[in-house]
Amino acid sequence: MNTIRIWFTKTGEASYISLLDLQRVMHRCLKRSGLPVWYTMGFNPHIYLTFACPLPLGQESLTECVDCKTEQEAPDFEAWKQALNSVMPLGIAITKVEKAGLKAEHIGFARYTVTCRDERMAGALQEYNALPSALVQKKSKRGMKEIDLKQHIPEIHAEACAEGCRFTLLLPASDTLNLNPALLLKFVEEHYAIPAVNSDVLRTEFLAKNGEKFC
Amino acid sequence: MFTPKLKEALDHVQKPGRYTGGEPGCVIKDKSKVDVRMAFCFPDTYEVGMSFLGEKILYDILNQHENWWCERVFMPWTDMKAEMERLHMPLYALESKDPVREFDIVGFTLQYELSYTNILAMLELSGIPFYSKDRDENDPLVIAGGPCVCNGEPVAPFFDVMQLGEGENMLQSICAEVEKAKKEHLPRKELLLRLAKIPGVYIPAFYDVSYLPDGRIEKIRPNEPGIPAVVTKDILKDMNSYEPPRRFVVPMVGAVQDRASVEVLRGCVRGCRFCQAGFLYRPMRERSPELLDSAAHDLCRNTGYDEISLSSLSTSDHSGLEEILDRMNTWAEGEHVSLSLPSLRVDNFSESLIEKTNRVRKSGLTFAPEAGTQRLRDVINKNVTWEEIERTCTIAFRSGYTSVKLYFMMGLPTETMEDIEGIAETAQRVVNLYYSLPDKPKGKGVQVTISVACFVPKPDTPFQFCPQDTKEMLEAKQKHLLESVHSKKIKVNYHASDTSYLEAVFAKGDRRLAPVILDAYQHGCYFDGWEEHFKYAEWLECFDRAGLDPQFYSRRVIGLDEVTPWSHLDYGVSHDYLVREYQKAMQGVTTRPCNRACSGCGANHLLGGPCFEYDQNLVH
Repeated sequence: MNTIRIWFTKTGEASYISLLDLQRVMHRCLKRSGLPVWYTMGFNPHIYLTFACPLPLGQESLTECVDCKTEQEAPDFEAWKQALNSVMPLGIAITKVEKAGLKAEHIGFARYTVTCRDERMAGALQEYNALPSALVQKKSKRGMKEIDLKQHIPEIHAEACAEGCRFTLLLPASDTLNLNPALLLKFVEEHYAIPAVNSDVLRTEFLAKNGEKFC
Repeated sequence: MFTPKLKEALDHVQKPGRYTGGEPGCVIKDKSKVDVRMAFCFPDTYEVGMSFLGEKILYDILNQHENWWCERVFMPWTDMKAEMERLHMPLYALESKDPVREFDIVGFTLQYELSYTNILAMLELSGIPFYSKDRDENDPLVIAGGPCVCNGEPVAPFFDVMQLGEGENMLQSICAEVEKAKKEHLPRKELLLRLAKIPGVYIPAFYDVSYLPDGRIEKIRPNEPGIPAVVTKDILKDMNSYEPPRRFVVPMVGAVQDRASVEVLRGCVRGCRFCQAGFLYRPMRERSPELLDSAAHDLCRNTGYDEISLSSLSTSDHSGLEEILDRMNTWAEGEHVSLSLPSLRVDNFSESLIEKTNRVRKSGLTFAPEAGTQRLRDVINKNVTWEEIERTCTIAFRSGYTSVKLYFMMGLPTETMEDIEGIAETAQRVVNLYYSLPDKPKGKGVQVTISVACFVPKPDTPFQFCPQDTKEMLEAKQKHLLESVHSKKIKVNYHASDTSYLEAVFAKGDRRLAPVILDAYQHGCYFDGWEEHFKYAEWLECFDRAGLDPQFYSRRVIGLDEVTPWSHLDYGVSHDYLVREYQKAMQGVTTRPCNRACSGCGANHLLGGPCFEYDQNLVH
């Protein structure tokens, strides 16, 4: 039995598919592809699927991944990629299919690009950079938790772009601490009155806990 | 495609996936290469609309024409409607995200009377004038199809074109005429005159309705030369001439009916007198087992669904059902697909059917005796006996089922409190039956759910002449039913009768109701079919303002010789037949299913010959 990791984008229309819906969409797409994926042996057999680090609704990504299993001994990954690309919804493109390496629990960080259509953003970020601390409330399983964004994002350098400005963030994305750019955008909305909806978030990369590329 | 405005709206609403499109199977075309654009509008939510097979059939047929593009539009939920109004965003189609107003044809399907206000909401969000008479050359052609067109008179003034019967041929003919008209720059009126020649097409503006002083209709007559006095519905004479769709748009936000489905037959042989569909879709026509099997197999492969339903008004009446199931079972299990039959009947249910539909998954059992006593079942021509219910439930319990759902109606013509007690008794006898079986499932109790709907008399049925029970009568019956149930194994579900009342008013209404519907919409009524949004008091005020009594439509006995608002709309079943069936009902005399003996309803004229070869035994 081989565990296969499917890397895909989740952009445009597909950025509004929730995790629950994405599981069903992937199930059906894998079924449509006719690929020899492994079914669980229970009362209601279904395709074994595990998603890593789900993305909030409305955010986009170039680097989502899902694991499935196959009894095929030497899968032709290029053929898998083609078969899957022909059945995906708009906004999901399969970028790579490979034998799974590290397990999803080894993901430590994720990199994001934030694009903002509000010209005031660059100035707001300068003020943010000068702050001693930036406290936000984060919802967790054990209730609300206070987090100082400055500990994780000490400084942000925005570049001008066609839409307005753009910056990248590297944030913890592990099973013990997962911070999303939405927390920063909410902070900016509350303190500098720049609506969070004026910014688009794109996830671009996962890193392992040791800081190396996750694969 | 995703404008910042749309992103902002999506950011503020529940289930944004309803409004994005892009699902597997959706059709995207290059609009510069398209001659006719149709917006197929479903006047309810995405989840409801995406469950509707008719839209999938027509979407598939229209999009097979390279130069036509049919897209989908659904009614935005209240939060999205408010966002769109706040941001001045027009209603758009899911595929292209282009405003509906820019389309050539805007088509609504009329599935349910209480979605009429949603049609007005969708027109308003699109920026299209409500009334047909207020539209000009720059506006899309606003058309309607679906079962409620059989008496679409309450909404007729809102539509340029209405379609009677089955859309497969008719809608293609309409698109072809629109394509020609665009090339010729034909004035709108000339186009409508051409469309009126297509079988099944009804142009409301070409008919004048006059009323008697008491509000009944005096006359309905054409006001243009060459327009027929009566429009007859269009049907597919041969169901094998059109393949069922082999691909679907597969929703990503869960639809109500989220599974593959093939239509095994159209129409119904049973002639239950309360059932409008049973009369509207006559005559019964089957698809061949080979075609169904091949289409079902392709559909499952193309969609990735793991469940396929064999749908129709009465699937177990297909003369080749066992063959269909045998063919499908050769591949279904291996491909992880389960088969389901949505409309089983208690009178031809068998162990082999249970076995063949449950190779993969076991679902609940649902039957519809509809009435609690044999007397009333004979009145409504639901030819089901207690012996059959008993036999069926015995088979089901022995096969491991422990829950049964029974559907009933209350408010049926001639109904008494004895018939209501009969509902509770029927459920109790099913419970007793379960415990009397020595080979019942071990260690499990039984659950019998009875769902009771309020009867709505509908046009084109033998009960169109009958008044509807009042709210007080229905509530008394509901109360009596609850008092008659004495077991914890029996669960009773019923609904408030207010929505059924309004449904009855629109079902048998006339054109004078159009301004009432518009007034209600403008006073905040929409999503009337959703109980949490139904504003009953507001509706009553609107009737009041218009000086119309809703009971005139729902409570009045219609004379057997009266001119009804739908008397110029012919669905194949003759008026004389409806009268005969009504009289038989009042005498408690049943009519046999039409595959056993023809009772002369008249629908065979649509085929140009008899519906069945009666020397063959089509019933098993």
